[in-house]
Amino acid sequence: MTLEKEILKEFEDVVGLGNIDDGEVITNVYAYNWCTEIFNYMEGKEPIPFSSVPKAVVLPSTTEEVQKLIKLCNKYGIKFKAQSTGLGPWNQPSTDNCIIFDMRRMNKIVKIDEKNLYAVIEPYVSGAQLQVEVMKYGLNCHMPGAGPQVSPLASSTSMNGPGFTSPSTGYSARNVLAVEWVLPDGTIMKLGSYGLKNNPDWYHGDGPGPSLRGIMRGYSGTKSGLGIFTKVAVKLFPFPCNCDYDVKGYSPNYEFIIPKFMKLYIMDCGNFKKLETAILRVEEEEISFMCSYLCNYAVMAIFSNSTESLLDKVALGRMQAPLVILIAARTKREFDYKQKVMDFLLKKLNLKNIIGTLYTPDPIFYAEALRSNLGLHGFLATGSMQSAEGGADTALVCLRSAAMNTPLKKKYIKKGVIVNDFGEGAWMSSYESGHYFHLEALTFFDQADKSSITGMADYMGKSFQLDLIKHLGAPFFVEGNRMHDLFGPHMSNYHIWLRKIKESFDPNNISDSGFYISPQNK
Amino acid sequence: MNDQEYNQMIQRCLRCSICKWIPQVQIKSQKYASICPSIDMFNFHAYSAGGRITIALALEMGRLKPSKELMEVVYKCTECGGCAIACKFLNTLEPLEIIVKLREKLVSLGYGPMPKQAQYIESIKKNNNPYNEPHEKRMEWLPKDIKIDPKAKTLYFVGCTSSYRRKEIAIATARVMNAANYPFKILTNDEFCCGSPILRTGDRKSFIDQVNKNLDNIEKEEIETVVFSCAGCYDTFKIDYASEREYNFKVLHTTQLFNDLIESSKLELNREVPYKVTYHDPCHLGRNSELYEEWDGDELQMMPLVSINIPEKPKRCGKYGIYEAPRKLLEKIPGLNFIEMERNREYAYCCGAGGGVKSAFPEFALKTAKTRIEEAEDTGAEIISSACPFCSTNLKDGIDDKGSNLRFYDISELILLSLGSQDKFSKKLSVEVT
Repeated sequence: MTLEKEILKEFEDVVGLGNIDDGEVITNVYAYNWCTEIFNYMEGKEPIPFSSVPKAVVLPSTTEEVQKLIKLCNKYGIKFKAQSTGLGPWNQPSTDNCIIFDMRRMNKIVKIDEKNLYAVIEPYVSGAQLQVEVMKYGLNCHMPGAGPQVSPLASSTSMNGPGFTSPSTGYSARNVLAVEWVLPDGTIMKLGSYGLKNNPDWYHGDGPGPSLRGIMRGYSGTKSGLGIFTKVAVKLFPFPCNCDYDVKGYSPNYEFIIPKFMKLYIMDCGNFKKLETAILRVEEEEISFMCSYLCNYAVMAIFSNSTESLLDKVALGRMQAPLVILIAARTKREFDYKQKVMDFLLKKLNLKNIIGTLYTPDPIFYAEALRSNLGLHGFLATGSMQSAEGGADTALVCLRSAAMNTPLKKKYIKKGVIVNDFGEGAWMSSYESGHYFHLEALTFFDQADKSSITGMADYMGKSFQLDLIKHLGAPFFVEGNRMHDLFGPHMSNYHIWLRKIKESFDPNNISDSGFYISPQNK
Repeated sequence: MNDQEYNQMIQRCLRCSICKWIPQVQIKSQKYASICPSIDMFNFHAYSAGGRITIALALEMGRLKPSKELMEVVYKCTECGGCAIACKFLNTLEPLEIIVKLREKLVSLGYGPMPKQAQYIESIKKNNNPYNEPHEKRMEWLPKDIKIDPKAKTLYFVGCTSSYRRKEIAIATARVMNAANYPFKILTNDEFCCGSPILRTGDRKSFIDQVNKNLDNIEKEEIETVVFSCAGCYDTFKIDYASEREYNFKVLHTTQLFNDLIESSKLELNREVPYKVTYHDPCHLGRNSELYEEWDGDELQMMPLVSINIPEKPKRCGKYGIYEAPRKLLEKIPGLNFIEMERNREYAYCCGAGGGVKSAFPEFALKTAKTRIEEAEDTGAEIISSACPFCSTNLKDGIDDKGSNLRFYDISELILLSLGSQDKFSKKLSVEVT
């Protein structure tokens, strides 16, 4: 379904020649994404990695262009869906009456305020790009587990964004300050201190007046279901150690000199009860740069760059409840203090660090940890991975959720449709020094094997039901009508409120709601 | 890559966009984080390796049919292989090989190469060079005072670009070998295009004709070593000829040979070349010249869905390209101050000319060259050097179009300059440089 020539011309007049394409090749490419086959199957469609094909793809370069394009979408009743770096099914249109806004040309770091610890970015600045520029000021930014190649703007406005450094850098949803937001009707909204009449600036996300941050993104973001974010301020943090970062050698065996004040700990807690005690105690001390529970399989993966090297790490695979902690410091005094605390806690909790004894990682691991590249190792075994369930809660509830899911997962492992991780595949990270936690039940499947795809989708569906029956909260990926209607009635009927928000902000239902919620009147 | 591997791999792109950037752990600035000239120029995701893998999948699934639109997207790629280096840091896909095979499939379906590329190929078939020049003029670059030894066991394969377009590189190469009293011969009129322009644009059948023509002629000559000043010819012989037909001679790039000659004291670099110089790694000399290691192992299924290769299948990540030889050479030149560009070695940014882009999409080639020139300028260098006549042409075009103060010299020219030779060509070069 292509655009009528006259309509295409109107769009082209906004962005200029070469910045809109309605050809079948370009549009079909934008219909493809990772895990789309899973979501298709869950929606009762064929399990193929292609979604609906958009009518066209447009490349705006300014907020004003975005505004004009959205107004045209309203004028002609065509839905729009924005994407930046574009990883994941959430970027896909839910209907072929849709135009994709690829935000690639909006790629500026607008401002780095090193004194007030924030940076203002456009949609197509990648995490790695932002990080390397703020490192020049001795600073760091948060990056989601998806990796340094994804957009911090997309993560902070429209997703959730937990990452390996969440204990020290929070998570994307909590790092967003002021935003510039083009609403579904084309109105430009400035939230937070950027909306002030006098001296607007980006340092604060709330007010003036009531904060709209909850409406803007809520728990898991609207995935472009409520307009398009064109600029955002994100929090910055001190870089955890010195910034003399220099990777030498050749891919994939890069060499790296481990910063002087950095130390990795991996302890086998033996069981979830002890793990919970240990992780809460360590986080109470606010000393970790990274602090995660990783199932044994995931621990093997973060130190590997091939399936062969992954399966070679048997010593790591024997652990029951591994706790991975990375401490880093900028001064010897700070480092000594952190080590002293760790020594004390290890002794008190009767835990042993296996690093340097049972296992010594290659130095590149530390470089990847600093550049938030560890999540991508999850794709090594089969080429694809998805989180079946999980969410944000206390350590106790998160671990209970993982434990309760294990027997279910084992059934699917027995069927041979997902990889055998002993049913325990999960990653749990502390948020903000243990104030609460994030858990994802990582599951490895084969995207080129139909029975694996459908098996994985069935397992995810059953996991959601289990979450409901066992009162484990909403899963990480609670999105789209089906999921909101499933969980809403059990959670204060939030879905009714969400629909009201959608209806108020998007009266013409133009902002594609495939991964958000459709308005009440639909 | 066989059909089975191709069909498996095209189903496995994560659409993670890693292929658009240099390896994530190597990113040093926002400005020079990108690796893919195609996505940098055209912006739509289809113009990335991930996009082209999706096109390959859509074609196999019957969602897309071959078309002119599809052909353009597939051919607007320099085949520089930067995507493959970035992807293979962790993944096991072969984005470059998929693109090469996709082009071959399109050619077999009558959709490729691009019209301009087809003209070049016709010229290769007719004139043995892509530039529509008469074959008999191939030797016109050769000055009378160059010593050629008909009994030499080393052959200098000059290549079309140095023979017809960048003669100064051929002359400098020959003079340096003469200065070292290193005996070499040339094929004279029996040298034909190596076939790289045909292969890169998807016509493997015609490429094999070139392989056979050149190897037949070389093998007549009892040659032990073939030396190349062209990175494209070097890569094509080393990697692509070897995959089509066995041969019994050693291949060397001039940067390797010159290093050997200096280290064995056969060449002495005396004269100062007091300039700040940066070096551009040609894709064909760097990452793409890494040999495919033979693997004769077994795939073992460890558990449902997880297989491993025993022994581990070697990943071709660009590590064994020729990177150090040119750098060592530059560092040996007295007075020369060598400065590295941010994107270098296996993640160097392409000059923009390869994969048939220079002929079919000259604006794209030029824009890419200007991006690379800007990166060279940002180092503070006065001279950008490289080791490939095709990169030389495009980078010079970039310098001219940008109005840059940078100057381009092939590494052989800088070596010749440092030898302090007094022949006419060397004096002219000396005047030009200074």
